[in-house]
Amino acid sequence: MNYIWKEWKESVRSKGLWLSLGIMIIVSLLMLSRSSDFSLDQGFYLLLVNLFEGLIYFVPILCLFLGAFSIFQEKEQKTLVMLLTRQESTLSFLGKKSLAIQLVLLAPIFVWFFIYLIPLKMNFIVDLHHYFLFLVALLGFILVFTQIGVFIGSISTSRMQITGIAVVVWFYFFFLHDFILLSVLPTITHDNVQLFSVAYFLNPIQAVRMFLESGLGLYSFGNMSRLLESFMWLSPSIFFGVNLLFWIGVSFALAVLLHRKEGS
Amino acid sequence: MKKILSLLFLFVLFIGPCRPGATENLQSMIDEASDGATIQLESKTYEGNIVIEKPIQLIGQGNTTIKGDGTGNVISVRAEGVTLENIGVENSSMDRNSSEEYAAVKVYTNGNTLRKLTIKDSFHGIYLSKAHHNTIDQVHVQGSGDEEIAGQGNGLHIYYSNQNTITNNEIEGTRDGMFFDYADGNIVLNNKITKTRYGLHYMYSNENEFKNNIFTFNTGGAAVMHSNGLTLENNQFIFNYGHRSFGLLLLSANDNHIENNTFYMNQRGLYIDQATRNTIRNNHIYQNQIGIELWASSSDQIFTQNVISENTIPAVTLGGTGNNAWSKEAIGNDWGNSFPILDLDQNNIGDHSAIFQSSLYELIEDQELTYLFLKSPAISIYEKMNELLNKSKIMFEDEHPLVSHPKKQVVLWPVVLLVLGIVVMMKMKSLPSKT
Repeated sequence: MNYIWKEWKESVRSKGLWLSLGIMIIVSLLMLSRSSDFSLDQGFYLLLVNLFEGLIYFVPILCLFLGAFSIFQEKEQKTLVMLLTRQESTLSFLGKKSLAIQLVLLAPIFVWFFIYLIPLKMNFIVDLHHYFLFLVALLGFILVFTQIGVFIGSISTSRMQITGIAVVVWFYFFFLHDFILLSVLPTITHDNVQLFSVAYFLNPIQAVRMFLESGLGLYSFGNMSRLLESFMWLSPSIFFGVNLLFWIGVSFALAVLLHRKEGS
Repeated sequence: MKKILSLLFLFVLFIGPCRPGATENLQSMIDEASDGATIQLESKTYEGNIVIEKPIQLIGQGNTTIKGDGTGNVISVRAEGVTLENIGVENSSMDRNSSEEYAAVKVYTNGNTLRKLTIKDSFHGIYLSKAHHNTIDQVHVQGSGDEEIAGQGNGLHIYYSNQNTITNNEIEGTRDGMFFDYADGNIVLNNKITKTRYGLHYMYSNENEFKNNIFTFNTGGAAVMHSNGLTLENNQFIFNYGHRSFGLLLLSANDNHIENNTFYMNQRGLYIDQATRNTIRNNHIYQNQIGIELWASSSDQIFTQNVISENTIPAVTLGGTGNNAWSKEAIGNDWGNSFPILDLDQNNIGDHSAIFQSSLYELIEDQELTYLFLKSPAISIYEKMNELLNKSKIMFEDEHPLVSHPKKQVVLWPVVLLVLGIVVMMKMKSLPSKT
């Protein structure tokens, strides 16, 4: 509990959390204002899809920075060394710190999108179940990249290092991963399509997008070809869940194993 | 005494009316009515199935329902001049093994009016079988949804039926919304079709008019196949978004007029294959993954005065180079911000051709999984890289692209940026520096 309260007090005083929240608020309001022409029944889904597509551009990089700098601050202030010496192991420290960072970031975002429901209900016919699904997708997305950010902060020894690694990670997931898959796409057949599918859904952006669109009932898988059936060998929800667990687990494990105590 | 009373009570319970208000035989009422009579139905459930063999009017009230027995059509109309109005119809046969396809209302004759019907739990909603000059208006058909294809039929099934008027209907969750099969000269206005396989499944039918209809959340908005002379105007094709979905499919469809329609947020706005001489004019095609997918087997299409903007890929030609026109009488299409086009003489027509090159055509032709990547930002990198390596091919050349000039806001953006810059500088000066 101390970790969470401490993290909250530090984040409230810093600019990072407010900057991230501010950008999210501005983007959601801009999308809402652009959606004034949408019809009553389709507008809700149009807004959610457009909002999600807008958010994925900057949410990953912000989460990476927030997670990384939060850990790095402990190194800079030398509190990390004190904690590890006196009472915590690396595992317990990173566990509690990760939990604190995630909660402190997710809580205000959740509150904002709860408030956001009010103008939504005024303008469109809102399906609460689908809105909840959107929230789950977004918060899961944030969880993954914040945890990867914790890993970056754990292994880095300087702010420049954090910035560099975060940008590379963001570039990889945003562009490079899919570019590599596009390049090997001509070689994909029934024999290797499942492996390709695993590689495709390893990208959190694709896993979350597929989960959201199929959950909202927008992306139908009726009349699938054999190839597509083999590609979708698990449901989008399972792909999403496994992706979440994989990246959170791997990031946390690597953060513990490759942890560096000192910052410069 | 007590025993006798309790026995009497049980007797009354079991022998009394089994269901409230369902005692009148509707078929008898119809058979006894004279030609031209109006039968006012009460607000209750009547037992089907019924066959109407004389011109009468059946008018229901708020909760009037005719419930079939599940063995055939709930209502069969076998006379001309019948009116069915304000009635709920449900529970036709769902049998797929019989030679006949059953429906809630099956019409075999001409000149009938079906108005304000609410149909559910039936195989087809309304089936017109060689029935002409009928009116279907304000009918609501609710299918079973869940993308069920085999286990249910279509909302409206129009079979060898001509000159019908189909207006203001709402169809949701059926197999296809409307199925036209050898049906000519029909007018279809102001309908809403959602969550079906094909909102409009249209085959071997000519000279029909579709105006002001809305097709949303279907696997395919409208599939027009082997048909000619169709007029599609002012319709909206929105959010037909699944894998390989489309707003409008033209397959072996010729001489059709596609004008003033909106194609928005579809996987593919238009998908044109083996089609010739169609005019696609003044449509708004935007925010689709692929604006227009045009197979080389199609020729002599005319694309003019369309606004094709903000699509991931504006247009792609597959299977070789077709012979289609991207302008007519020196008026092309407005491509939005897809291409930088100069218009120095300010005549709203570009000073040079709009040429779009893409390398994705090969991937799309050979590998259906390519569609999964269209929303990824990696697509733009893929296209740029292949452009540099000269692996792109010209998808289309619009010799007279339209250029719209937005209202002059020359002053606005620099002012906004200036104000932002001043605010940031002031903030930075007032904050204490952190080490």
